[in-house]
Amino acid sequence: MAESILGKFGFGRASGVDKAGWGRTLAVAVVAFIYFLPVLFIIFTAFKPQGDALLVPPTLSPTSLFGLIPDHFVFKPTLENFGSVFSRSMTPDGAPEATGFDRYFFNSIFIASASVLLALVIGTLAAFGFSRYPLKGNDTYLFIILTTRMLPAIVVIIPVILMFRVVGLSGSYLGIIMLYTAFNLAFTIWMMKSFFDELSPDVEDAARIDGSSGMRVFFKICLPQVIAGLAATFVFGLILTWNEFLFALLLSGPDTRTVPVAMNQAVSSGGRGTDWTLLAAIETLFLVPVFLVTFFLQNHLLRGVTFGTVKR
Amino acid sequence: MTQTSPRASAGKGIALRLDGLSKAYGSVRAINDLSFAVDEGRFFVLFGPSSVGKTTTLRTIAGLVQADSGTLEIGGRDMTHAPIAGRGISMVFQSFALYPHLTVYDNLAYPLREEKAARTEIDKRVKETAEILKLTHRLKAKPATLSGGEQQRVALGRSLIRRPKILLLDEPLTNLDAKLRHETRAELKRLHRQFGMTVIYATPDELEALSMGETIAVMRDGGIVQIGTPDELYEQPIHTYVASKIGSPHMNLFTASVRADTRSFDTPLGTLVPATAPKTADAGEAALIGIRPSDIRLAAKGEAGVASKVHLVEPLGDITIVSVEAGGEMLRMVLPEAIAASIRTGDSASIAIDNRKIHVFRAVSGQAMT
Repeated sequence: MAESILGKFGFGRASGVDKAGWGRTLAVAVVAFIYFLPVLFIIFTAFKPQGDALLVPPTLSPTSLFGLIPDHFVFKPTLENFGSVFSRSMTPDGAPEATGFDRYFFNSIFIASASVLLALVIGTLAAFGFSRYPLKGNDTYLFIILTTRMLPAIVVIIPVILMFRVVGLSGSYLGIIMLYTAFNLAFTIWMMKSFFDELSPDVEDAARIDGSSGMRVFFKICLPQVIAGLAATFVFGLILTWNEFLFALLLSGPDTRTVPVAMNQAVSSGGRGTDWTLLAAIETLFLVPVFLVTFFLQNHLLRGVTFGTVKR
Repeated sequence: MTQTSPRASAGKGIALRLDGLSKAYGSVRAINDLSFAVDEGRFFVLFGPSSVGKTTTLRTIAGLVQADSGTLEIGGRDMTHAPIAGRGISMVFQSFALYPHLTVYDNLAYPLREEKAARTEIDKRVKETAEILKLTHRLKAKPATLSGGEQQRVALGRSLIRRPKILLLDEPLTNLDAKLRHETRAELKRLHRQFGMTVIYATPDELEALSMGETIAVMRDGGIVQIGTPDELYEQPIHTYVASKIGSPHMNLFTASVRADTRSFDTPLGTLVPATAPKTADAGEAALIGIRPSDIRLAAKGEAGVASKVHLVEPLGDITIVSVEAGGEMLRMVLPEAIAASIRTGDSASIAIDNRKIHVFRAVSGQAMT
């Protein structure tokens, strides 16, 4: 038990860990760079002047690095594209108009965080129930919860559209948040159940003997032990929801449109062909919130993902 | 069943009484018609191998488990269905069950905070308890960074800090290494003397039971076979189960039959005549004779003994365990090192049995013949 407590909280002394030398570190850095390259290319493109996006060979760097990079690979960074995300002329020679992207960003943030948090609250409680107070045929219910995720979204969406039409939820915040919550619930319950399963029931019994009621045992003893799990579940749910396109396309209205849907419309409308630098600017902005959340939760995240993988 | 202890504490009440307590999990009877009583301030041991119902008994006393039938009295009041909080009981788990997300200080303070004790009082008691258990320098540490012994002491401290009337200990030494186990045994006895609470201690370890228990209940299949002091269990086991569990090395047991005089026995070692003959023996009845390894010695020169052949010699420092074969039975005897030094495997030896120390059991039931 002494060791399992160590393991659970990541305090275990690493055994057999051998810090890499510069050779291995460099090799990994190269692979990591290749991995990151598409994202980097998008971010750079967002800062390129409009005409630079389709140059062959492409411009690759915003700086010549003191003359290291030949001039024809260097572009002159601009913030113009970011301005265009929110306001630009929709017709040739027309006056700049608001694009509504401020609204779409708000929608994305509101819908994703509301549904992920809602799923986290409901799912965590449900997971605790499934873990500690199993029903007859507990696994069957867990299986049923997961069935909606077993089909491609495009299949599931058909009955959902019909259901939403009947109850009049299409295009509303409530509708899309409910849908995302339901979808995140499956994932949340499965994730959090496995975290609760890992906790020692003795610890909860100890708290009961120490005078805690059922609710206090949950909030003061169980929940603090699964914070890593909550963080991991939150981030994964957020990423899935944030990037979701199909449901948003079919079920959000003009007022509730999320960024992925708006992005699609922004680049495919206007009849001027695809504006790659504008698209890159939207994508870059779109990346920031998830990037920040993941960055700040990453310590929890790493612990959460590897939680319980080693029996000590 | 009642307490049969020479130190029956006069003037003290009964801390705990179980009467016909049963609990089943599905078709498995974890405890079965369990009855016993424990005097206040006593160190009471529940002894038996794993899954005989020790833990279920403790959990039922604590209120974590509701008994299917029977009653539970704590301090003279019926607490069979009382909520956990009001029972005045604390418990140390085999796994220690520390709160992993809280510091040692907060672990110790937890029961007091749940009681809504005043902040200054909590602080005082935590520091006091940490002092007693030598944890003062670790108060800010999280459980995962503590050694096994420190975790154990935190678990003890958290149980003692509320000054419980009854302290339940569920195999608290099982997760410690041998040296620490020895130290902690002494520590537990010291704490028991210092705080004077009633202790119910579950263990599968004979040495722990005998060295710490003032009263020991030997458990089997969810019930109690015998309750008594360590001496009583050793000297007068009422069942072969107790005889074979208490005492190390274990008691020699071999089959015999009651002779026509109902006072003596035909055994593979020849006729044996216990000094105090069982009164309830029937002629011809099958019996089991039990003799402790320490009650067999080498026969003196000229003394009539049982012929045997030395099978195995195991020197253990100041004593030696010698296994001999006599009449087709393998017998273990414990000899002082000085006497056993000259014995070699394959030697012939004449052995003598102390007839005041012969235990007789019924072969059918395992019950002692009295």
